[in-house]
Amino acid sequence: MSLSSRPKEIVVASGKGGVGKTTVTASLSVFLAKNGHKIVAVDADVDAPNLSITLGGGKRRESREIKISHKAALNPEKCVECGKCVETCRYGAIFQPGRDKVPFIIDILCEGCGACTLVCPAEAIKIEDRRTGELIIEDTKYGFPLVTGRLELGEHNSGHLVTSIKKIGHVEAENVGADLLIVDGAPGIGCPVIASISGASYVIAVTEPTPAAKRDLERLISVIKHFNVPAGIVINKAGISESYRKELKNWIINKLKMPILGEIPVDYEVLRALTHMTPIIECNPSSKAAKAILEISTRVVEKIG
Amino acid sequence: MGEIAKFFRIRPVSTPIVAVTGGKGGTGKTTVAVNLAVALEMYGKRVMLVDLDVDCPNDAVLFRKRLENGEEVTFFKPKINTEKCIKCGKCAEVCLENALIYVKDQFPVFFEELCSGCAACKLICPVDAIEEDHKVLGKVYVSEVNGIKLVSGELKPTEARSPLVAFKTKQKTYEVAEKESFDVILVDTAPGVHNPVVRALQGTDFALAVTEPTPLGAHDLGRILDLTKTLGVSTSIVLNRADIKGGFKEIIYNICKKYNVKIVSEIPFDEKLIEAYVRGVPVVKLFPNSPSAKAIFKLAEYISERLK
Repeated sequence: MSLSSRPKEIVVASGKGGVGKTTVTASLSVFLAKNGHKIVAVDADVDAPNLSITLGGGKRRESREIKISHKAALNPEKCVECGKCVETCRYGAIFQPGRDKVPFIIDILCEGCGACTLVCPAEAIKIEDRRTGELIIEDTKYGFPLVTGRLELGEHNSGHLVTSIKKIGHVEAENVGADLLIVDGAPGIGCPVIASISGASYVIAVTEPTPAAKRDLERLISVIKHFNVPAGIVINKAGISESYRKELKNWIINKLKMPILGEIPVDYEVLRALTHMTPIIECNPSSKAAKAILEISTRVVEKIG
Repeated sequence: MGEIAKFFRIRPVSTPIVAVTGGKGGTGKTTVAVNLAVALEMYGKRVMLVDLDVDCPNDAVLFRKRLENGEEVTFFKPKINTEKCIKCGKCAEVCLENALIYVKDQFPVFFEELCSGCAACKLICPVDAIEEDHKVLGKVYVSEVNGIKLVSGELKPTEARSPLVAFKTKQKTYEVAEKESFDVILVDTAPGVHNPVVRALQGTDFALAVTEPTPLGAHDLGRILDLTKTLGVSTSIVLNRADIKGGFKEIIYNICKKYNVKIVSEIPFDEKLIEAYVRGVPVVKLFPNSPSAKAIFKLAEYISERLK
């Protein structure tokens, strides 16, 4: 596959959680699928994957284990209780209950770096492969496949998992002849978000007119700019504060210097659609929110060409 | 599992610690944490509030407080002393993140963004050619607002390692708590169930999981309850926007039944809360008689009772 034929990735991100990433992703995906695009949807919020629910739950075609994590395992029979591993661990993952006691590795805090194995004089510690999470491919009722990642509870390799599921998304795209990957991102600006944004063709940054969402948008945009990915902004729940909405818009245009793709009004139909597990543009296409999302989707198509 | 819980609870200070978490983003963790802190302060408690959503720390934003003079959060990175290096390549061999790359007869090449700071390279080097250097991962701010001690961790944008910033912020929290006495430490966590949340939950007495009456709220609540169960952190539920139009409470009640956890507070949907949120004043201060503020005062009474 040549680089030019690689499907484009549109990533929906936000910084702040709960501003409407998944709502936008679900409706955008259905819109594109219904308007002649071949797409693959990817849920990169591996911590709290919700796209499948929002799309009404698909038919599971395949699931596989992703095993790219490592953890240290201590053999108490070999251990000489010297405590060197405890001193060496920079992540505070090893505890020694007392002098001359066998240390305990808190698995969930272990980064699997192996530093402890290097200092152990008794070869009592080994690095083991562990499950990072699960990958699920399902066929949605809207005709396109959805690739979802589910991170093992407490894991720290969420970025690696996102990279893995995006790869699978591309394989799936090749199989079905898709030209677009629609990626629902995780909240925040850390590891999984960076993994989502890297390689993206376009980022849709969703926000709402509140000071917290604005601050998080600012953080997100600085990451997006660092990776040099074109982006546009969607203001969701626009009417939540009329005065702050104006302030936010001015700030986006004049300070952030980013294009606004559109505004979605506060509309309880969005919540109703969520409880019906149907994207709002399907559940109630004549609602204010659905109309706004349709306009935004059309604009996104123009942007990515 | 039992053993993890035993060690997970260990902390260097005796001050009670309560975490505010929830799984899904945007359910109101920060709102609950901030207002609960203020309400407890109004009841005469000495409170420390710790923002451990280091990707997007907003506790200060909700107080309209500008954070200044942050202390850098740093972590190890190697510095190769080329005068000592014998080009053996062992450092690259032990680097699990592939942050050190070795080509025969060349000095190893270091890719900082891949480094996790474990220092395995420094330990293995036979000639001490790897020196201790550090990289800046973020900042931690210690301030005072509304009579509350506020500790906020902040990941530097473009940095990926939120768990380490959460870890270091937690250490700072203990440092502050050793010097001053507090009745309670409230910890505001990131959304999700990944490692930064684990770091925030470490050493806590119990957690409040804030959720909303939607299928997404329910799904993610299930995930966080699975996690707190594994970690042995007792968890109670705060149902936010409990009566919102289009919401569906039963779905949360079912999860609570399944996990055998209690809803200790239902906060009604309240325009006043949104107004206070946007104005950057805690609703319990700005509109103490509003329905949401009343629910939070009740929750504060419950917490006080539980801390006795």
